[in-house]
Amino acid sequence: MIAKLAWKNIWFKPLNTILSVILLTSSVAIITTLILVEKQFEEKFSSNIEDVDLVLGAQGSPLQLILSSVYQVDAPTGNINFDSAKLWMNNPYVEKAIPLAFGDNYRGYKILGTTHDYLTKFKAKVSDGRLYEKNFEVVFGSEIAQKLNISVGDEFFGSHGDAEEGEVHENYAYKVVGIATHTGKVVDNLILCTIPTVWQMHVGHEENPAHGEEGHVHEEGEHEHEEADLTLEEPNMEITAVLLKVRNQMAKLTWQRLIPQNTKMQAVSPAFEVNRLFGLFGIGVTALQYLAYGIMLISGISIFIALFNSLKERKSEFALLRVNGAGRFQLLKVVMIESLLLCVVGFVFGTILGRVALSFLSNSSEADFKMSFNPYEFLWKKEGTLFLLTLFVGFIAALIPAIKAYNLNISKTLANA
Amino acid sequence: MISTKNLRFSYSKDQEFIFPDLYCEAGSTLLITGDSGKGKTTYLHLLAGLLQPTLGEIIIDKTDLVSLSEKKTDRYRGKNIGVVFQKSYFIAALTVLENLQIASWLATGKKHTKRAKRLLEQLGIENQASKLPSQLSIGQQQRVSIARALMNEPKVLLADEPTSSLDDKNAEKVIDLLTSLSKEYKAALLIVTHDSRIKEKFINKITLV
Repeated sequence: MIAKLAWKNIWFKPLNTILSVILLTSSVAIITTLILVEKQFEEKFSSNIEDVDLVLGAQGSPLQLILSSVYQVDAPTGNINFDSAKLWMNNPYVEKAIPLAFGDNYRGYKILGTTHDYLTKFKAKVSDGRLYEKNFEVVFGSEIAQKLNISVGDEFFGSHGDAEEGEVHENYAYKVVGIATHTGKVVDNLILCTIPTVWQMHVGHEENPAHGEEGHVHEEGEHEHEEADLTLEEPNMEITAVLLKVRNQMAKLTWQRLIPQNTKMQAVSPAFEVNRLFGLFGIGVTALQYLAYGIMLISGISIFIALFNSLKERKSEFALLRVNGAGRFQLLKVVMIESLLLCVVGFVFGTILGRVALSFLSNSSEADFKMSFNPYEFLWKKEGTLFLLTLFVGFIAALIPAIKAYNLNISKTLANA
Repeated sequence: MISTKNLRFSYSKDQEFIFPDLYCEAGSTLLITGDSGKGKTTYLHLLAGLLQPTLGEIIIDKTDLVSLSEKKTDRYRGKNIGVVFQKSYFIAALTVLENLQIASWLATGKKHTKRAKRLLEQLGIENQASKLPSQLSIGQQQRVSIARALMNEPKVLLADEPTSSLDDKNAEKVIDLLTSLSKEYKAALLIVTHDSRIKEKFINKITLV
């Protein structure tokens, strides 16, 4: 009955209530979204660099190299000579080396030339069909296979480079031989083929600058002559990057200095670059967090003002409750419960709104970066803490009004009215 | 029944109220009159346990109200004393029926919906039960106050200027309802008033001087 009274009271003056609830809702929504994005973002980034100690690629921005070769979100820094890369790949310190050659795209999804180890690294298997063996055979990542409605046996033409509008290579058709299992990692959004496939598609391009760079042109009729299938042993070819797993921690450190000093390549630690990225990212997150806590503080003040003002009008109501047998403590409880109910309502709305915002965010990041967020995930510990914090704000806001209600002089209130 | 003995109260050192002793049986009515400033409302607040006297006893059904702790006084008041004020007070956010229910819930922990509806019927306002108090006329509001005061079948019914804001017709109606219902519920009825319209209706009177 006390709770019912409190509930009826807060909706009796809806304007005050709605203001407080809106403020609470927005702060809780911002914090919830941040918590979820930060956690899922870090999870996605960290899971993709598992088993990659170093990335070998063309010199340029280290972060760009990591983003392009590990996360497939940026343009590559350039190409490297496969023969000189092989020297490092065959080094005894290297446990596993996965070469990557960026090829064309199919409707905006990257076609990546690599070895079967790439799938193994992501613990992906072929769920339907088989692995690619010959040139122009491809395996689709599970997500795009589903999105583009691809099945084993389909054939398609790729578009040049990483732009969907790129020139269509009509001289060779890709053939789908398998669909990979779902992993929740970047491989789900890639089309995989052998490295020589990429080379053969672009035979005669060696004279041209690398893909995606200015001055890369297609000469008329260059694809018209048929050639024998290329293999990995082909000398003097180019690839984009190599993912390395090393046996020796010393090698991991020294190679980052050694390789750029002695070759035209660089070796970058993805863990280090990703931490740097999180550091940059973290400033924005922290700023937003301060903003959200600021709004929460304001909502606390708003609740306080609403309760304090209504206390003046409701003095006689409280006196009446006392006349009807309510103790001082019950009045304190009414005020407290009103404030806490507001906070619970605000938290519930905020949690829902935060997830709605996240699903919008997910849709746009899915379109731009092929990265999606799961709005239905609940982080009990962090969101529970947020809930307690919200209740605490309500408690503090109600403290002075509740004590005033507790100390109300009933006789004076009733005599002066 | 209610009786007082040797009751004194002071707001400050220079002013002390000395109240005459009173005695009122269950089912009968006592009028307390006096000019303003003589402590009529103070006397009523003492009898309701809203103020603590400096000296004296208030005996309601063999219990000395003065000797109870504040918490026990709150409970005792809720169960045994009904109060009707000059102005009607309500919980504005609750309906008429809910206002009655909360009165009995606070005192006894039960809502007693049936009793609330019967009281509203006896007072002729049963069709207003689901309205908010602010939607009622002043005369109707005063009747709801009476219903609320009687919700817990109190031993004492205190009325503080119950008719001063009402017209002649409503005033008479309210007094009739108060006297007849207090008889029916066997409550001692004490009316504090300076309203000359009702003074001549009662034989038992105490005048504060």
